[in-house]
Amino acid sequence: MAAYCNFDSLNVLLKASSKDIVIRLCNEAAVHSGTRFSETITTTAANCLSVDNRNAQQVLQSLKSLLQAAIFQGYTSPTELQTLFPGSFHKNLRDLLIKIIVDNINSWKTYAINNQVSLPRLVDFDWRVDVKTASDAISRMSVPTCILQMQVQENSDKVGQTADISNINVELSKETLDTMLDGLSKIRDQLSSVAKR
Amino acid sequence: MGVYEVQKIQFNELVEYSLEFLSEPGKASRLMTKLEDFAEQNSVNSNALKGVFKSLIAIPNGALKKSLNVTQLKEDLVNLGLSEEKADYFCQQWNSNLAALSKGALGQTLTVNQLVDMEWKFGVTAASSEVDKVGNTFLQLKLAINTGNGIKNTYMELTLPQFYSFLHEMEKAKASLEYLS
Repeated sequence: MAAYCNFDSLNVLLKASSKDIVIRLCNEAAVHSGTRFSETITTTAANCLSVDNRNAQQVLQSLKSLLQAAIFQGYTSPTELQTLFPGSFHKNLRDLLIKIIVDNINSWKTYAINNQVSLPRLVDFDWRVDVKTASDAISRMSVPTCILQMQVQENSDKVGQTADISNINVELSKETLDTMLDGLSKIRDQLSSVAKR
Repeated sequence: MGVYEVQKIQFNELVEYSLEFLSEPGKASRLMTKLEDFAEQNSVNSNALKGVFKSLIAIPNGALKKSLNVTQLKEDLVNLGLSEEKADYFCQQWNSNLAALSKGALGQTLTVNQLVDMEWKFGVTAASSEVDKVGNTFLQLKLAINTGNGIKNTYMELTLPQFYSFLHEMEKAKASLEYLS
């Protein structure tokens, strides 16, 4: 059973005018990070359910802990999911929630994995190859060189804020690139040998 | 005592020092000790020797910059007062060291944010606070970059698809570099 879920507050979901609203609230709760839901989210939820903001906050929090429990345990079948609910819970609402969870759990899980704690993350990268044709050291030359720009998302200092993405530019000579590719191919070989096992 | 009066062997030795220094421009201190030893052995003033030696560096350095060929270099040397024999020796040495010399000069060429070192590790995430059983592969890279203001280390994490696309792109870049060189 989900430990911190306040199932009584979930009953407010019965006031929802349509199934879509419940699905939307579930999505909102599943991809939320941080402790409290923002004003905008709670206000829309409150309007949909015709309750006040405090109740909306509560229902979202309860949904979040319910969904987190389901994602954490990796429950994918209705029977497993039923164990999360107390026996006294409203049966139709329970079945609706279970159906929504079964439909969406895979995408929520992927989202959770992709957004788990990590070191600074590589977001994107671009490269370009130049030929140096002259310099202060030598008047005529033809040396190719590679410029690599990596966009890295640093860890954010503040909770609930998206971290800045910073650019890292490096210039790679042919030798450096060769050495780097050597290392990368080593990684690939190791990865494929792990995959074969 | 000017460089032109030095005996043949001594001249040859100095030519060797000069070309060696130009091939590895970073090793200035080694050149200095060699010159001081030379001055001591031949009982000449080491400061005067260094003054003379400067021109012995400036000429081949200039020739490298302007990509002179051997004939042009010899002409310059003879015009500057070197005997035919010495100029010939110089050019011969120059020719046999040309690859190393050009490499040394190319190494001097400005590189912005040069990648100095890369370290990596990869592994599998087993569990997290969000998901009990995960099992996806991560790859962490540390890049040491010479910013010109000290070495800067940057860290990043790649997912497996990102790694493969990164590898693929770098191979494309390598192919392009090879095509151009």
